[in-house]
Amino acid sequence: MKRFVFVLSLLLFAGFSALQGQGVQVTGNVTGADDGTALPGVSVVVRGTTIGAVTDFEGNYSITVPDASATLMFSFVGMLTQEVALDGQTSLDVVLESTSTELDEVVVTALGVSREKKSLGYSVQEIDGDAVNSSSPSNFAASLSGKISGVQIKQPNTMGGSSNVLIRGSTSLTGNNQPLYVLDGVPVDNSNYASNNGNYGGGFDYGNVAQDINPNDIESISVLKGAAASALYGSRAANGVILITTKKGKTRKGIGVSVNSNFVVGKVDKSTLPKQQYEYGAGYGPFGEDPDYSNFWWGDVDGDGANDYITITADDASWGQKFDPNLMVVHWDALDPSASNYGEKRPWVAPPEGNRFDSFFETNTKWVNTVAFDGGNKDGRFRLSYTNYSEKGFLPNSELKKNSVNFSGSYNFSKKLSVSANVSYTYQNALGRMGTGYDGGNVMQSFGQWFQTNVDFTRLEQYESPTGLHRTWNYAYWTPDRLSPIYFDNPYWVRYKNYEDDYRSRVLGYVSADYKFTDWLTLTLRTAVDTYHDVQNERLAEGSNGISDFTTRQRNLLESNTDVMLKFNKGFGQISLNGLVGANYRHRQQQRITGSTVGGLVVPEFYSVTNSVDPYNVSEYLGILGEQSAYANVSVGYGGFVYLEGTARVDQSSTLRGLNPDAEDTYFYPSVAGTLLIHELGGLKDVSWMNYLKLRLNYAQVGAGTGVYRTISTYGQGTNWGNLSLFSVANTLQNPNLKSENTSSLEAGIEAFFFESRVGIDLAVYKTNSFDQIFSVPVSRASGYNSMYVNGGEVENKGLEIALHLVPVKTADWQWNIDVNWFTNQNTVISLAEGVPSLQLMRQWGTYITAAAGEPYGTIKGTNYVYTDGKITVEDNGYLMVGDDPLEVIGNIQPDWNMGIASRLSWKGLSFYALVDWQHGGDISSFNTRYGWATGVYAETAGNNPKGNPQRDPVADGGGNIFEGAVFEDGTPNDVYVPAFRWGRYWHYGNSPEARYVFDASYIKLRELSLSYALPATVLGDSFIRGVNISVVGRNLWIIHKNVEHFDPEIMYTAGNMQGIENGAIPSLKSVGVNVKLDF
Amino acid sequence: MKIKNIYLLILVLGVLVSSCELPDNVDPKAATDVPAETILTNALRDGLNLIDNMSQNTNVSRMLCQYIGMTQYTEPSRYEFSDRSIQDSYWNTTYLTLNDFKEVKMLIQDLSGSDAFNRMNANRLAIVDIMEVLLYHNLVDIVGGVPYTEALGGFDNKTPVYDDQVAIYTDLQARLTADIATLTAGINDGSWGAEDLVFQGDVAMWKKFAATVKARLGMRLADVNPSTAQAELAAAITAGMLEAGEAMQLPWFGSSPHNNTIYTMFAGGREDYGPANTIVDMMNDLGDARLPAFFTQTDTSTEVGVEKLAYVGIPYGEITVPYNSISHFSDASFEASFPATFACHAEVQFILAEAAARGWTTPLTAQEHYEAGIAESHAFWGVTVPAGYLALPDVAWDNARNKELIGTQKWLALYNRGQEGWCVWRSFDWPVLNPPPDLSYTDIPFRMPYPYNEPDLNPDNYANAASAVGGDNVRTRLFWDATDGTPNPSPSF
Repeated sequence: MKRFVFVLSLLLFAGFSALQGQGVQVTGNVTGADDGTALPGVSVVVRGTTIGAVTDFEGNYSITVPDASATLMFSFVGMLTQEVALDGQTSLDVVLESTSTELDEVVVTALGVSREKKSLGYSVQEIDGDAVNSSSPSNFAASLSGKISGVQIKQPNTMGGSSNVLIRGSTSLTGNNQPLYVLDGVPVDNSNYASNNGNYGGGFDYGNVAQDINPNDIESISVLKGAAASALYGSRAANGVILITTKKGKTRKGIGVSVNSNFVVGKVDKSTLPKQQYEYGAGYGPFGEDPDYSNFWWGDVDGDGANDYITITADDASWGQKFDPNLMVVHWDALDPSASNYGEKRPWVAPPEGNRFDSFFETNTKWVNTVAFDGGNKDGRFRLSYTNYSEKGFLPNSELKKNSVNFSGSYNFSKKLSVSANVSYTYQNALGRMGTGYDGGNVMQSFGQWFQTNVDFTRLEQYESPTGLHRTWNYAYWTPDRLSPIYFDNPYWVRYKNYEDDYRSRVLGYVSADYKFTDWLTLTLRTAVDTYHDVQNERLAEGSNGISDFTTRQRNLLESNTDVMLKFNKGFGQISLNGLVGANYRHRQQQRITGSTVGGLVVPEFYSVTNSVDPYNVSEYLGILGEQSAYANVSVGYGGFVYLEGTARVDQSSTLRGLNPDAEDTYFYPSVAGTLLIHELGGLKDVSWMNYLKLRLNYAQVGAGTGVYRTISTYGQGTNWGNLSLFSVANTLQNPNLKSENTSSLEAGIEAFFFESRVGIDLAVYKTNSFDQIFSVPVSRASGYNSMYVNGGEVENKGLEIALHLVPVKTADWQWNIDVNWFTNQNTVISLAEGVPSLQLMRQWGTYITAAAGEPYGTIKGTNYVYTDGKITVEDNGYLMVGDDPLEVIGNIQPDWNMGIASRLSWKGLSFYALVDWQHGGDISSFNTRYGWATGVYAETAGNNPKGNPQRDPVADGGGNIFEGAVFEDGTPNDVYVPAFRWGRYWHYGNSPEARYVFDASYIKLRELSLSYALPATVLGDSFIRGVNISVVGRNLWIIHKNVEHFDPEIMYTAGNMQGIENGAIPSLKSVGVNVKLDF
Repeated sequence: MKIKNIYLLILVLGVLVSSCELPDNVDPKAATDVPAETILTNALRDGLNLIDNMSQNTNVSRMLCQYIGMTQYTEPSRYEFSDRSIQDSYWNTTYLTLNDFKEVKMLIQDLSGSDAFNRMNANRLAIVDIMEVLLYHNLVDIVGGVPYTEALGGFDNKTPVYDDQVAIYTDLQARLTADIATLTAGINDGSWGAEDLVFQGDVAMWKKFAATVKARLGMRLADVNPSTAQAELAAAITAGMLEAGEAMQLPWFGSSPHNNTIYTMFAGGREDYGPANTIVDMMNDLGDARLPAFFTQTDTSTEVGVEKLAYVGIPYGEITVPYNSISHFSDASFEASFPATFACHAEVQFILAEAAARGWTTPLTAQEHYEAGIAESHAFWGVTVPAGYLALPDVAWDNARNKELIGTQKWLALYNRGQEGWCVWRSFDWPVLNPPPDLSYTDIPFRMPYPYNEPDLNPDNYANAASAVGGDNVRTRLFWDATDGTPNPSPSF
């Protein structure tokens, strides 16, 4: 908090004052070609000497040259270097063109240092902020999908949900494998507070908190992929780094105003919804009481003295009576005596289209409005922005709102001392996030698995009786005393009664001071703070299936990072030298208090922890972590064609301390990288078709500490028994002898541009080994513990990344760019801890996601089919044979490869962009399919069999279903039809091999389609408007190809490593947005 | 470079190399030191809760002996255990709880003081030991040989060897002998206090319980090792078992999460469990007076406006049974504080009846013990034995049918104690159970498989144990479950 006050006061007291220039022989002004604004900080060097100067904040420079025939070189980040011969002039104004190719690109690297990309010995890829902002205003990470090779992104389908970002594969066995997010050089917390990461899901996906970064404030994003790129960030960067550079004020006349409006409309993609059958209605089969069909209950609802057919509301399946308009039935909605249609009999028919479950989904809308002011002169610059974000989710009663204010400023106190600061405040509140996983809070559990296809959704909307009672299709029985949900709540009740709400207020900021000792030596002092307060409230209303409940979680985070860095940058003739030495102190304090009612609520719908039937539960957590580090980085270049870079870092982490005084809490790790620019070599300089050819090679290590409190065992505490306290030995045994984790990586790459840079290629191969991992390994419970913390295990990732850039057309008005990113990552778990052959990452019923020695991370295991001559085998009775091994390999979550193909066609100010995102391979185990088949809800369980007869007819009458293509044990083709109901689930849900529900998760998606137009300057003329940009962006408009029927194979089950499972899949959204940007 | 710049540089370099104090790594919100009493309370609660538990995910013994059945999700009652890893859950909780008992012992075993204190402390240790015996014998009775001598080794032994089931039984009996001796010596010296949720430290009661368990384990061996069985029973009789009206019970606190298992299972509104037709049909046939104490009635009328109440059980293992058409558990057993029972005098009487029927020395005759057992069970459930009950053809004592009669009546008397109920069926081969549809009598399990994660986490020892037990499948009989030459009745289903 103290640091935050410091940042604020700095901002308040910062004023603008003048600073004197210097008198010289050659003077001039440098401006940018794009917008004509002055360029401060441009380096001006007399060619062949070390004489140099830098432009001031108005773009002015002055330099003393040895003689008037000298040549001046002007270079600046992101601009083409220009050489101008003086030819006796003493006044020279220069206009710099921005970099049109990637050849001279400058990228932001570790610790926020801008570097020429050509000198880097490792892989960095950069994305422009506008692209992020217009395509994905809610979650910037989602917009990276398909655009950066080596980066796999799983999209959140839920409102404000988490995105899972994996750079070059999973390196950590049990860590979250997410990259480190860094904002202007300062690490940003990216905790994920999904309320339940348990095996079967449930709870709400509250999203990862890096989403608090406002896409509208992002200037650019750099992705550091390898360990060499991220070595300087230490521990947290082992999974790569996403570097975000925020927009800053520009030196200009007056105050610039920029207004950006974004409106996005989204609809559920119906191809990602379960396909239900509408031929048969409620029931598990003919087990009912009615004498005619045995598919109904039999009772006198309307009181006329005769029994009626009554829908078996208790059955959450659709194996019941075939729809028949002449059959009059009392439906679920006519069972409530308070309903106006009590006792009404209606035809037994499926609901008409428009009243089916897909009508439950609403239109998703997002409104994002930003206004930004910026300005600056030679002494200081500022930018102030405000963004209002308002989203209505695609489920009833869901909304997400965000308000963000960002202020950044810099000021030059003197020629030597400059100070900059940035502070952003975000307040986010959400209502009605979507439940996840196999849980009643997720309406998809019912829609995709356990449902009655006869339910009319317009009738479900009356979810509450006049006296506040719950009306649901899934009543326990038809009599008035039994009208409570047996398994499923009415989905509208779920949305309007069992809703959650949450809010988070966050302040993120830093203040940084630069002191220039000389033109080649700068001292930087930077302190940053990231703090938020986060509250989640979850409800289960009285009358729901389950005991009513209120749970609140309140979290506070305070993380501060302080860095001292001495940066140098000097040339000695042909040799260039730059680098830094620095130190970091990191302090992190995370607090959580959870309160929940126990045994139900005393007063219904009064949501307070104290409103608890039994004594309420409160639990506290306080995690305090400290780390200090020293680091150094040196890059030596010779002749502009060869560079050698090295880094070294030493960390000391509190997490490795414990009762053991000899604990090794300090660890060191280095990296080296080399770069050779072949096109700069002697004879090759003049090869006209080769513009650029770079070879790079690097080796790096990254060490890491671990989570807090893993070295000292403590007791767990249970709920008091009256006035008796209950303590127990913790189920996980902590380890007093933990040492640091390590990752080492080797990477080689080629970057090349040919034919006037019309053809470019960037190729990288890498091998990353993560070893001595610290994780909690499950052990035989007979040891007295569920799991123990160990140091061990090794995971290897090997990969190939290819980025291809083509410019097939380039004329004055036309340009066509094609960018292809292709990558593959092979993951192998080399070993786990000693004596631990396999680690279960997730289990759902008989399906396991595992990490086992010798197998890829995320291998799917379970019972397999039995194969005879490569064909699936059935028993003599026509049912699938199930392999004996309960843990046979039946799939793998890792894709074979991913590819993104982007095409941009531009004509003057008009630009058309398309991005296709392709994943090949990878498997997913679908529990919707498993249960949708078992319950007769899915389309495959109705309709005709291969003989052309209704499959639900008795087998004796030519009905039934068959496992087609299967063979008997003797190899002869299967010709036995089994009852449709038994085809769906045999006797029980678990009777088919688990492999039956594992599907290929490949997909090809039209990820992005956009048309944008920038009004030419000639049209705007001298008006006060300086720029107009309009774009229309469609996202996820079309799934071109997928191999699964009832869901989106890209589905993320829950945040983190638990992937490869679909259970209660949430449908995907297609969206179209309009973005208008005005600059004044 | 100017002088003052150099000073500044030195200052900065000084900051770089100097070191701040890092926080220690001690969790401020978790206890590192707690009284042994608090761990004892927790372990008693968890251990007894496990044995009594009726969750389909943890303890399905009530289903295996067909006191109850499930509708809708019938996998466990159809002996498909893998989907829910039921035995993993039972095994896990057993060892975690044993680790708590071990911790209690560790915290108090080195304490010493006055003689009175030492005897009190010895009593405490003996009580903990009795609980350990209870947990181990329940686990062995489910799966067979388990890790025992090498168990609870923490870091030192992540892959403990399984002990032979016979050896474990022998050691458990020896431990009970020692515990009884300790408690006898310190009978008036006190032990635990209120933290003993069962007997509040009543040493005499713990001793009676220990003797009852001793008799129970002894009689399990009646078929395979009659001499040991006789000796154990004699020792138990000498020590003194639970007497009329006495029971080893956990009186639940009656507030979440410390509620009885039926309340816990059904308070959330689930409607997929109920009494099995096996027990309901039998009790209907006998006109058993305990029916209203066990179950509710349901309306079986098909006529509008006419009520016809009856006790109806779930056809065991049937997939879909309308919930309204079956009986449920009695209102009393739905009470949150309804106590869970782990030993009672009726069980003692049936043990003695079995011994007497074998011609061993017992206080009374086989028939007297048998009828006393029936009477005690009725009394336990608050009802009296109806006139003529003891003369019913399927109840009246007939020494030739002693297995059938004791097996059946003991099974009825141990209703709601699934673990022991299942042991009764296995040792007596009575009563006749109902095989689930599509399955046969020879599919009914004699044991549960080992946990599914043991082949994964402790592969070598698991493999040895699986072969030692006679194959890791549900139809392998445990060592004490001898068929005695009389195969299970296999009615034609």
